[in-house]
Amino acid sequence: MIEHFSEEEVITTITRLSRDQLVRFIEAEFVRPDRGETGYVFRRIDIARLELLCDLSFDLDLDETALGVVISLIDQLHTAHQERLAIERAIQALPADVHARILESLNAS
Amino acid sequence: MPDDPYKVLGLTKSATADEIKKAYRKLVRTSHPDLHPDDPAAEDRFKAIGAAYDLLKKPETRARYDAGEIDAQGAERPPRQYYRDFADTSDNAYRQRSGFGADTDPADIFAEILRNRARQSGGGGFGAQRASVRGADLRYSLEVPFLEAVLGTKTRITLPDGQALSVSIPKGTADGQTLRLRGKGAPGFGQGPAGDALITVSVRPHPVFHCDGDDILLTLPITIEEAILGGKVSAPTIHGPVDLTIPPGSSSGRILRLRGRGVDRAGAKEKGDQKVELKIVVPPEVDADLRDFLAARRGENTFDPRIDLMKGATHD
Repeated sequence: MIEHFSEEEVITTITRLSRDQLVRFIEAEFVRPDRGETGYVFRRIDIARLELLCDLSFDLDLDETALGVVISLIDQLHTAHQERLAIERAIQALPADVHARILESLNAS
Repeated sequence: MPDDPYKVLGLTKSATADEIKKAYRKLVRTSHPDLHPDDPAAEDRFKAIGAAYDLLKKPETRARYDAGEIDAQGAERPPRQYYRDFADTSDNAYRQRSGFGADTDPADIFAEILRNRARQSGGGGFGAQRASVRGADLRYSLEVPFLEAVLGTKTRITLPDGQALSVSIPKGTADGQTLRLRGKGAPGFGQGPAGDALITVSVRPHPVFHCDGDDILLTLPITIEEAILGGKVSAPTIHGPVDLTIPPGSSSGRILRLRGRGVDRAGAKEKGDQKVELKIVVPPEVDADLRDFLAARRGENTFDPRIDLMKGATHD
């Protein structure tokens, strides 16, 4: 599985993304690829993020200002979601009586 | 065979292009996997919506579908990965530093757990593993009397929850030093080990002894006679009083070294010394004989203790 992509490869992979649009996304720091010797180096997460940015800007017609707000909220949502999963896993690893106590205190609050 | 694209978008065959676009946008909002990281069915719904929209958004393909020339199959989108699939990777540069906000108490136990977890998860992985998290370190402070810190002792501290924790103060513990009691911090989660108790020791100063590394400093008052004639005196050390020989003709400020009478710190190559600084003390009431003797000698004295000082003062 390839892990790193050049600017050229990104544009080939994401057919609806033009070079101009890619540059605008980078300038707005919506994606932050690494800078290699021969240009930008994108990771798989950047490709997935660019797909999302395309969905938001082309399908939902978000302009750059709205896109900035939305992508920041999405990042916060994902972070909170991951943290919640981590807490859930931690709680799952605890004995059953602790589960009961956690439930009790959740219901009390 | 995928469903009827009109049904997928909640429309009928008579829908206008504008209605198709509106319906699609609405469904993107409710079904985009990255907007709904919690919804495992979102990806399938979003795929179906996308395929339906791809087919119906262009008048040509819509017309061909309506005429039965193509079915919904051909419009399926190629598989793609969603941003949410990467949300848990350790090198996700877009992840917010902390979801708890800047004003969260840094001691917040969950924040601590998550920080530990982020540190420990080296590789990627999609987070299916059961979390085993090391317990948080707990910090305490403890004031210890000088001699106990220097000579070492065992003491107990009472924790906020009422439990007592036994603490060994090693010989030569310095002021501000932190002792780590492995496994005495908060309990771990899952298979994770307990955290450590970190105890910062502050050493209460001693009225007589001072510390300089492993050496002990002491100022020892002596009489004028002892200074001039020399003699044996008793000097306190941290290990008890010892006899100290004062050489004849000792001035104030002279430092005598008692080898091996300092701190016997574990791990140090050799014991520290005690350094004794002499300080001549004139009796509060000088007897007449001494005063007369010194008065008779005044003017005869050729020794000037300040001669070097006066010379030195004119130099840069």
